[in-house]
Amino acid sequence: MSRTEDNQDGLDRRTVLKTGALLGAAAVLTSKQSLVLAQGAPPPLAQPVLCGTTPPVSPPTRPFIDALPVPQPALPQILNPLPTKAANTGAGEAARDAHQRWEQFLPLVMYRMTAAPSLHQHHTDLLPSFMWTFNGTYPAPTPLNVYGVPTIVRFVNNLPTTPPNTTFGVNEITVHLHNGHTGSESDGFAGDFFSTGFFKDNHYANAYAGIDAFGGIGDAREAMHTFWFHDHRAGFTANNNYLGLNGMYIVYDGKDPGHELASPGSLRLPGYYGVTDIPLILTDKRFCPAANGRNEVFQVVGNGAPGGDKWVVNGKIQPKLTVRRRKYRFRILNTGPAKTWNLSVIRPDGTQAPLTIVAVDANFLPSPVTLTNRTLDVFVAMRFDVIIDFAAFPAGTSVYLKENAAQNVGVATADPAPGLPIGNVLMRFDVVNREPWFPADTPAIPAVLATMPDPIVPDASFQWNFTLVGGRFLINGLEFDANRVDHVVLKGSAEEWTLANDVAAGNWLHPVHIHFEEGRIQSRRLRVSQNPDVFQDVPLLPEELGRRDVYPLPPQNRVVLRMRFRDFVGRYLIHCHNMNHEDAFMMVRWDIVDSVEELTRKRREIDERRMLAGLPPQYTKQGGVV
Amino acid sequence: MATSMKRRELFSSLAGIGASPASPQACTGASLIPNVPLRTHEDTEVRFYEDLVKGRQVIINMMYAHCEEFCPAITSRLVEIHQALASRMGRDLFMYSITVKPQEDDPAALHAFARMHGALLPGWTFLTGDAYDIETLRFALFRHDHIKFDLDPASHTAKLRIINDAINRWVHVPPMASKMTVLQHISWADPPKSFEERLEDNRKLQLAIDKEHALYGYRKIV
Repeated sequence: MSRTEDNQDGLDRRTVLKTGALLGAAAVLTSKQSLVLAQGAPPPLAQPVLCGTTPPVSPPTRPFIDALPVPQPALPQILNPLPTKAANTGAGEAARDAHQRWEQFLPLVMYRMTAAPSLHQHHTDLLPSFMWTFNGTYPAPTPLNVYGVPTIVRFVNNLPTTPPNTTFGVNEITVHLHNGHTGSESDGFAGDFFSTGFFKDNHYANAYAGIDAFGGIGDAREAMHTFWFHDHRAGFTANNNYLGLNGMYIVYDGKDPGHELASPGSLRLPGYYGVTDIPLILTDKRFCPAANGRNEVFQVVGNGAPGGDKWVVNGKIQPKLTVRRRKYRFRILNTGPAKTWNLSVIRPDGTQAPLTIVAVDANFLPSPVTLTNRTLDVFVAMRFDVIIDFAAFPAGTSVYLKENAAQNVGVATADPAPGLPIGNVLMRFDVVNREPWFPADTPAIPAVLATMPDPIVPDASFQWNFTLVGGRFLINGLEFDANRVDHVVLKGSAEEWTLANDVAAGNWLHPVHIHFEEGRIQSRRLRVSQNPDVFQDVPLLPEELGRRDVYPLPPQNRVVLRMRFRDFVGRYLIHCHNMNHEDAFMMVRWDIVDSVEELTRKRREIDERRMLAGLPPQYTKQGGVV
Repeated sequence: MATSMKRRELFSSLAGIGASPASPQACTGASLIPNVPLRTHEDTEVRFYEDLVKGRQVIINMMYAHCEEFCPAITSRLVEIHQALASRMGRDLFMYSITVKPQEDDPAALHAFARMHGALLPGWTFLTGDAYDIETLRFALFRHDHIKFDLDPASHTAKLRIINDAINRWVHVPPMASKMTVLQHISWADPPKSFEERLEDNRKLQLAIDKEHALYGYRKIV
């Protein structure tokens, strides 16, 4: 039972499985081109032939066949031409504003992310599917970064130009780092998309918010760690994300250093990327029947993203992961387009095992929150860093990650645990003893994870009303228009914002995302009577006590939050992160400006325009600046 | 019979349950856009896909003659759009306004509505037809895949649909967005430009951005 033998065993088994998969693929893919593909050379990809407009039932897939893949760390490189402060339009860079704080945060590390068609196999039992991915992989490679080391990510658009357009995506992209504290020109504003053949350099300072107030790289209490980047193309965000244009982006600092060794200030959480600190990137997909050597992802040109009947983790359906008897950190990310995940860890006896939340939306909570009898509810775009301690399970057992909604497996399988149908299993963890060469367990999770920044004292308050009128999603009476600003704030100020959900239809919960800085939820109220209007306080969940950038907004709810607007100026967004809603214009542009004169002028323009359109003015009542 | 079949398919697709695995087929105009017979405001019979949409770039909205809330405003916005794109209208760009109340709106009523709004313009056709066919069309062109939305005919004002059938590109835009924005969205479905043309567009956009910076010190609109 030497470690070499163990390793050898594992390798052999893997090789056998791989070979089997390859042979299987070769048996089905008869053309020479496909065999070349299997060997890794990039052939020109045939455009997909889709399967009509009626959602098919996806083909059967056997559970727990594929190992959970981990997105490769992105490889830094020297970009040619080198990034520039102003857009290098002569070299094919998309038009943009000059980078803010460029000299202060000259990029030291550069990445290239090329959006292009590629094939991705979601399961051994499925043929590859035509997708749009970054750098040929789904999910995209993960840039691993360090606070204080600014980066440039060059997003290159190599999506196909040839008509007819055979996917429902649109070959124009604008990439948002969610939720980077970045200048507007690097924020992936929905209207700033660029077409095939162009690139755009997004400048990420990898600094904490509060650069002006605190100097250096800002207020370390504003630390965020688990980011993700995704296409934000106005009107087509759901489509382009469903096709695969997203990935994770991690930033380390002394507190969360990307390793587990004792070092000053480190929380010593499980921290080796891909080993004990593993992204779980969730999405749902539906697949066409096999044809032309592919199982294409179901999509209908002209529509938003369809609901899936297969649950996909890191690009695989019902994968398995071998875990050692120690603590692991999983960075759970819901990439949408629309599905909410209600997750729990299930023991072999069918009972729920504990799961500890340490971070929400990239921000460490003040103290860890352990869930033992309720689900982890992951709305679109939310990130939850959770710790699962597998030392609680004997070697040789399997534990399961359960999703409340069942997927279509299509292969008759006994319930893996009492009361747990196979369709509800998202993935399986196979617990083994820790080998001597595997990192030893980390210390207990600290009782205090983060000190919150100083309380936010608002300079003004503002309400965002989400309504549905005549089939139109409205925010403060209007639909999204990238060329129109609907609220203006002063750089360096802070405001208290109320998000009010009065959308009557469908009992929709809108996961509202606010770009730019993390906010703090102050209170949550639920309307209990319409006439007269009566609201009741809803106690905040312990995981709502930290900082966040996605605010779940159930029907008839009011969420009051405070946020600051520091360090940068420009155009930013608030939107429902249900990407189909966002594409139906449930989005609003707000601007940060750096002079009172400009603020006054823009606010006056907004009110004049609103009054001309028969809408109530926004600022005259507030007695503030206007 | 054929129509009710189609309706059933549409509803089963709305609910997200396919009865049987579909066989592979191209997801292009003919399979997406119902070829229903309709009558124009000039009282001629047309087939929607074959005669009006096939191979063309079109702007489609749904309305009815006695609609008083949003329709008149949307129609007057469309008149502005027509003026702005007059050189293309009736050549490579067409506008279709389809009534959601075909029982009320016969060709004569639509003609009167168009005249009243100054919309008797080249390349702009008002359409009526069988109620089932119109419902099928509304579903195919404007559905949100949400039952509360899709069964509510009032949701017809939610968007303008722009289709370029030649490149199979569908775009939507809120009809009450600014004229500039509606025009931009229409251009998203324009025939693809060469890289040289797009380079030139990009250069012009950068000039516009720089100009706004020089004027206001920040980027105001573009």
